[in-house]
Amino acid sequence: MSQRVAVIGAGMTKFVRRAQDSPGELAAQAVQMALDDAGMTIDDIDAVCLGTAPDAFDGVHMKGEHLIAGAGGTNKPYMRHYVGGGTGVMSPIHGWMHVASGKFDTCLVVTEEKMSPCNPHPAGAFLTIFDRVTEQPLELTLIHIFALEMARFMHVYGYTERDIAWVSANNKRNALDHPAAQIAQNITVDDVMASTLLSWPVKRLDISPTSDAAVAIIMSNERVARARKSCPVFVDGVGYRLDTAYWCTRDLAYPRYVAMAAQDAYKMAGVVDPARDIDIFEPYDPFDYKALHHMNGLLLDKTGRTVRELLESGAFERNGSHPLCPSGGALGVGNPIAATGLMKIAELYFQLSGQAGARQVAKKAHRGVAQAWGDLMQVGTVVVMSSEGSQPTFQSAWQSMEREDLGGTGIKNVEDGPHVCDEPELSYAWDNGEGITNYLDGLKKGKIRASYDRDGGRMMIPPRTFSEIYDLSPAGGYFDMPDTGTVMTYTLSHVNWDSSPLPDGKINIFAVIAVDAAGPNMGLVHMLGEVKPEDVKIGMRVRAVWKKAKDREGAITDILYFKPNNAEPDSALFPTPIKPVEINAVTAGQKCARIPLTYKYTAGVAGKAFCEALLEGRIVGTRSPRTERLLVPPSIYDEIGMDAVDHEEQLVDIDPNSGFLESFTTVHEDRSGEMLDQPLVIAQVRFPDVDGSIFGKLVLDAGDAPVIGAAVGLVKPASWSGPDDVSFKLL
Amino acid sequence: MGVAVMGVGICGFTPTSTGLSYREIIVKAAKMAYEDAGVSLDQIDGAVSVEEDFISGYSIADEYVPDQLGMVLKPIYTIPGDFLHGLSSAVMQIETGAFKVVVVQSYSKASNMLSKDELLRFAFDPVYNRLGVSPHWAAGIEMRSFLADSEYSLDDVAEVVVKNKANAIFNTNAPYGGDWKSRDVLESRPVATPITEAMIARHADGAVVVVLGIDEIAREYSRKPVYITGTGWGSGNSILERRDQADSIGTRIAAERAYAEAGIADPAREIDAFFISDIYAHRELMHAQALGLGGHDSVIINPNGGALGGGDLFEATGGARLYEAVTQLRGEAGACQIQAKRALVHGWRGIPTDSCAVAILDTERRAS
Repeated sequence: MSQRVAVIGAGMTKFVRRAQDSPGELAAQAVQMALDDAGMTIDDIDAVCLGTAPDAFDGVHMKGEHLIAGAGGTNKPYMRHYVGGGTGVMSPIHGWMHVASGKFDTCLVVTEEKMSPCNPHPAGAFLTIFDRVTEQPLELTLIHIFALEMARFMHVYGYTERDIAWVSANNKRNALDHPAAQIAQNITVDDVMASTLLSWPVKRLDISPTSDAAVAIIMSNERVARARKSCPVFVDGVGYRLDTAYWCTRDLAYPRYVAMAAQDAYKMAGVVDPARDIDIFEPYDPFDYKALHHMNGLLLDKTGRTVRELLESGAFERNGSHPLCPSGGALGVGNPIAATGLMKIAELYFQLSGQAGARQVAKKAHRGVAQAWGDLMQVGTVVVMSSEGSQPTFQSAWQSMEREDLGGTGIKNVEDGPHVCDEPELSYAWDNGEGITNYLDGLKKGKIRASYDRDGGRMMIPPRTFSEIYDLSPAGGYFDMPDTGTVMTYTLSHVNWDSSPLPDGKINIFAVIAVDAAGPNMGLVHMLGEVKPEDVKIGMRVRAVWKKAKDREGAITDILYFKPNNAEPDSALFPTPIKPVEINAVTAGQKCARIPLTYKYTAGVAGKAFCEALLEGRIVGTRSPRTERLLVPPSIYDEIGMDAVDHEEQLVDIDPNSGFLESFTTVHEDRSGEMLDQPLVIAQVRFPDVDGSIFGKLVLDAGDAPVIGAAVGLVKPASWSGPDDVSFKLL
Repeated sequence: MGVAVMGVGICGFTPTSTGLSYREIIVKAAKMAYEDAGVSLDQIDGAVSVEEDFISGYSIADEYVPDQLGMVLKPIYTIPGDFLHGLSSAVMQIETGAFKVVVVQSYSKASNMLSKDELLRFAFDPVYNRLGVSPHWAAGIEMRSFLADSEYSLDDVAEVVVKNKANAIFNTNAPYGGDWKSRDVLESRPVATPITEAMIARHADGAVVVVLGIDEIAREYSRKPVYITGTGWGSGNSILERRDQADSIGTRIAAERAYAEAGIADPAREIDAFFISDIYAHRELMHAQALGLGGHDSVIINPNGGALGGGDLFEATGGARLYEAVTQLRGEAGACQIQAKRALVHGWRGIPTDSCAVAILDTERRAS
């Protein structure tokens, strides 16, 4: 137990807006590179762990399972983990557990995100991160809550938009030296300020892009590390903390969860004073203000003075005393969520072992910290890494790595090549339960309802049956609250939930409103109305404007918006106890919803070859050079040996009429579970001397009875739009 | 260092749980587990939740974990796997020495997910495998390959259903028990031949929370600690075209590690009861074979009725089996009680995967 753990190799693909490569192909290329970097083969790997954030990006349910082959996890202990946007730095922490526990000598840690299949825009995947009853009906998206947090951060710490824009310019400039970088640019603070306003205070150039990419690292125990690298980089400390999902109940200005995670990591690593003891900082920077916001947490300084001084003195430049995102960060390299965090870990590995080439910081750096963040502004994941002795000088391919040396193929348009469209019909009816039933009952009656946290002395909005911060103690009754409150933070939005622009001149104002008489920071998110955007201020008093009683249906949208209310909090306003709704077969309601996303998948690099051949009535595979396996369907990697396979040079034609039935099934239901009028036979067709098979429909003539081993041939398809166009017939 | 199950809690398992939100079923299971473990919230170092985005209906579902566990601001992460994957990760976490007491949580609101087949289809590769028919096709292909390749017959598969549903009659937490005959199974509606409707576990709602702790703490606080003497997990090929459809390699890899850790050489003789994933009836046989139980007719498998009797709880399914195993080892299994000192619990992710995990539970801390 408690083995010391090192990072001994790293690999990554290019970061691109839209990749031709399938998710598995992206992962495999990063894995191959990491194995080469560590001087290992997949046989040297004892376990694989994968970090990837929402399934809604790649558009595959249980996408960790889908990625096993590409991640090198076939026939191995393999496990996926996630904590939203914090996943990238959680990944090496989970890898650390594999090795530090003594269970495994080596662990391959892989992160992947292919955001581009998600339509209408990957940002749409964030609609369903919000509470389905209290928030989703307001059509919030990630930009909105970032903007709410940024506005609050600026208000509390006195930062201007220009101060913050410096981070964007710094990181994008640093990324000019990063081989994987997607949007490296030499820009100024003025450029950031002049970019399109999306949701004040957030502008286009404050934000990182959506990206497709994979990053992998190899972790090992000390014995393996010392045998392989002249300079292992050790993981000295790890920390991760998850705050409440009731994000309107806390001050967004300071990330206490990052500070607590950092404290855990520092304690483990023996870091006493982070500003003094840490040489390099890679905080998560999906938005420019986030880097400063997180640095307050990482430096354990709630006053924010240290970060302001470092920013103003130029210390955060790559050659400064406290280099900030020397990699170029999410803002410059790109932001394939989970892969971004691991890219930062890879950067610490490069920097601390002297492999960063043009990005190498000027100071002698021995210790660095990387951090990621995510969910509902709620999770902090932190890793402290260090090298030993003087800075090493060994030769490494990473020192002169060029963009063309990295895998991954960017494309302009998915529809230019073979692709599959899908519209999953995912529908739900969520049991509201007691707490939310009472909330919705209140809204229908024109009341904001809370439940009472007796131990905490606070009113809980929305009401819950338990106190999440005081020992899960049961709530002490339900109360109707005043419908007045104070604006804690706000944003002036020009975009919809799917990132499409609002009609010209329209601005949606979202605000977090602390409800009167509920307790500090107890509020809800809603919209403001009857106010000019320029007149909105933090601290402004507001009152709810309700729909007419006959139009109210028991939904958060029964409140149309909040409008300015000049009255100070009235001490006569107090919560009124009410008799709660009895939960019975009639009152126990459900919130119905469907997930409004559609997908467009590239066929992948090898898949493109497969589809093109199929349209000519041919079946192709690829020959894995080392194991000589003939892979069907074709692949650009051999998932057993994780060798690269050249999909052009190693492409092999297989006689489409040489197939035989490996197995088959007669299916009586359609994709949604309804009975089919005419059952369909699905066949698994194998070919001689081939490692693999093809699944497709079996077209039967009257009287045909399939048996295992029966000879079958491919039916040449007229067109190809997905697996349903593959069919076979008995010969 | 030994790791023990200090306490267990459940809510459910029932076909629906109308009137309680997912938060409300979890808080009930959590309270039960903490009381059972004899620990207060401030003694708990962290939590692992086990869930999948599209089943919970949330993107990055881990957001909604801390509150109803009473674990706001604690170290928490999510494992999208079977409950036993989460359990294995939590054990590993404790074995680093940095954590002493860790909670594992999962839940199912299957009744709230109205398009289960459509969702399962969405788990298949979009380019090669996402066919426009019921996703059970993959299980049909697999079962036919398994029967062709093994010594088991269709009747053996039917007998699994008969046994598990009969065992579930006496399980107060199992909604799908019954006195079925082999013929009822074989003649039930065909779904994806040779699979019939009765060979597929029906879904249920419920929550499972388990408190794990190091030996020293377990002995001090827990009413009846049960030791985890081995864990293992493994995955077969995710490329269905190149997977051996007749075998569960994932189970073999998982079992090999778990047996080695627990010092078990002859599982059929050394382990008293097996709680094995039976989401599809043929999978119980396939898993049992991969666990090294082939040819041992007398071993006890799923004495509480498995998922065929107790319901498919999505990721929480292995958690329900773990709960059953713990209560059996403690002698608290009521009318389902058997004589057992050592048990094996197995979980599987379901189609289209061959990802499995295994844990060995023991009334005593035996292996090194």
